[in-house]
Amino acid sequence: MIEVHLYGKLRRFAGSRRATSASIAFVACRPGDTVGDVAGKLGIPLEDLGSNIFLNGVYASLESPVQNTDRLGLFPDDMQLLYKWYFDPKRSDGPEK
Amino acid sequence: MDRILRINMTDRSASFEPMPKQYENRAGRWLTSSIIHDEVPATCHPLGPNNKLVFSPGIVTGTSSPTSSRISVGGKSPLTGGIKEANAGTGWGRRLARLGIRAVIIEGRADGFWLLKITKNGASFETADAWTGKKLSEVYPKLFERSGGHKAVDICSIGIAGEHRMPAAGICFNDQNARPTRYAGRGGLGAVMGSKGLKMIVVDDTGSDDVPVANKEVFNGGRKNMAAALTEHAITKPKGALNSYGTAVLVNIINEAGALPTRNFRSGRFEGAAKIAGEAIFEGNKERTGSELYNHACSPGCIIACSNTWHRPDGSEHTSCVEYESAWALGANCGIDNLDQVAELNLLCNEYGLDTIEIGGALAVAMEGGLAAFGDGKRAIELVHEIGRATPLGKILGAGAVATGKVFGVSRVPHVKGQNMPAYEPRAIKGIGMTYAVSTMGADHTSGYTIAPEMLGVSGKLDPLNPDKAELARNFQYATAFIDTTGHCLFIAFAILDIASGFEGMVEECNGVLGTKWTAEDVARIGKEILDLELDFNHRAGFTKLDDRLPEFMLYEPLPPHNVVWDIADSEIDQVFGQ
Repeated sequence: MIEVHLYGKLRRFAGSRRATSASIAFVACRPGDTVGDVAGKLGIPLEDLGSNIFLNGVYASLESPVQNTDRLGLFPDDMQLLYKWYFDPKRSDGPEK
Repeated sequence: MDRILRINMTDRSASFEPMPKQYENRAGRWLTSSIIHDEVPATCHPLGPNNKLVFSPGIVTGTSSPTSSRISVGGKSPLTGGIKEANAGTGWGRRLARLGIRAVIIEGRADGFWLLKITKNGASFETADAWTGKKLSEVYPKLFERSGGHKAVDICSIGIAGEHRMPAAGICFNDQNARPTRYAGRGGLGAVMGSKGLKMIVVDDTGSDDVPVANKEVFNGGRKNMAAALTEHAITKPKGALNSYGTAVLVNIINEAGALPTRNFRSGRFEGAAKIAGEAIFEGNKERTGSELYNHACSPGCIIACSNTWHRPDGSEHTSCVEYESAWALGANCGIDNLDQVAELNLLCNEYGLDTIEIGGALAVAMEGGLAAFGDGKRAIELVHEIGRATPLGKILGAGAVATGKVFGVSRVPHVKGQNMPAYEPRAIKGIGMTYAVSTMGADHTSGYTIAPEMLGVSGKLDPLNPDKAELARNFQYATAFIDTTGHCLFIAFAILDIASGFEGMVEECNGVLGTKWTAEDVARIGKEILDLELDFNHRAGFTKLDDRLPEFMLYEPLPPHNVVWDIADSEIDQVFGQ
């Protein structure tokens, strides 16, 4: 299972929506699945996702491959607070493959 | 007409001087660093009579340009021993600008404490001894009342920490609601002000004229482009990330990245992060006040409006503003996950006139040294009261993290050039480590906000520091020094680095005010000129490239969760400024 930590308006896709605690959803994935697939399984509209996506604490994209032991952190589009030089999450796999 | 107000505290004399030709077009950080570079002996004692304190509003401060009410304060820092520029958002600098005062230079040293009042007619003094030894929330309302109210004046003051010349003392300015909460916080400039015998400066701009604009058409075009960029960008627009959650939105983000320094930089992830984050502040306020509170502007004309408030269980206001840096320094860095305790610590820093980052750092080092357990917010509050009472222990903490580490035998002291690191772990975000290392200010995230994702190089697969990255770090510092010169808040960078017309707007605003024909190339040229002045001052103060290093423990202690050390070669650090 992948442990998906959700923030802001994405918390509604997890069991707990309380802002003062972790909002975590668990998702089973298959070989070859990507971050985008995980978001899809949770029903998160891709346009609600910002560029702040962290896979095991490393900046990632929708196309980054995932495994069942991963921790994924997803922030909505109104919470992206890292500078530009972010890459388009829909197309790039980011700087660290 | 642009002029400089020179104040000699020794004999309490004041004189206006025309703006020297060589300082033409200079304002904000460019002007404070120029004056410190040219007039202050680099080897002087920061608290001695030969240091100076310089205030300067930015180029467009006082105009209708949005988010531009910053005041720069410069001096030689008692914390780092190097040059310092710290700036704050407040209406205070706007009033100076409207009076045509490009800089106030404070020199000499008085006995006792004094209040300086600046008006259209000049400067006057009165004794301020009766205002000393008090919390700033007791001082500001009474002084406002006596001075004609917040509509007429803004106030700059030091607190008890500055009166006692503590190196963690900041300089306080009031916000738009007359709260004593906005700080030129870093580097101990409050101690420099205290060493001069200057307790407070009241600026009354009654009868002043608008700030002259040389070319109104150019200025208005630039202003509109700037405003459009700020209202369009997801981070800076109304109800965007900063307006909704404040800078503390970063707590969860940086924690998720494994780069939130926790328990004195022992870990990059804090299990209590969600409890002290911007979301928790927003939700907590909603529960306690019964309404959704969006953030407010700290200073006139700001359209980002990122300043928050935190409310008590009964709905009354507890403190403003719980910034990302403060929530982290007084929270995660001390292992404290109770927002009410973090808010109380934040309030006390405002009351006593302290830099929240340095005090959070000193508390964490004190916890490391056994004065309190990590997470013991109650004890942390007692320790900050020690500072307010100026007890020997309080003065040790008020001297900052390095001094506290020396006294209590702690080797894990996260600083550069004597200044405690802010809320980004350099082992996990190598780019900010570069900024910390080479900044003329000591460890300072605002010198060059290199938190770019391409620098979140924690896996070792990407070398974040090829020569191109050294260039990026350098260019960031140049651009930042220019923004600190315009009077704009650094947060405009989120928008203008994404939206080209916003960047052009910033340059056009300056051209409109000054009648210059600057281009983007001039931004880099001026930024370099500022950094060169500051580097030269620090060189003459005795700094070498060996001071551009992160603390040793970061080289041998792997940081969870990424388990990385600081592994950037010294030679690569030295490429940034080619020393």
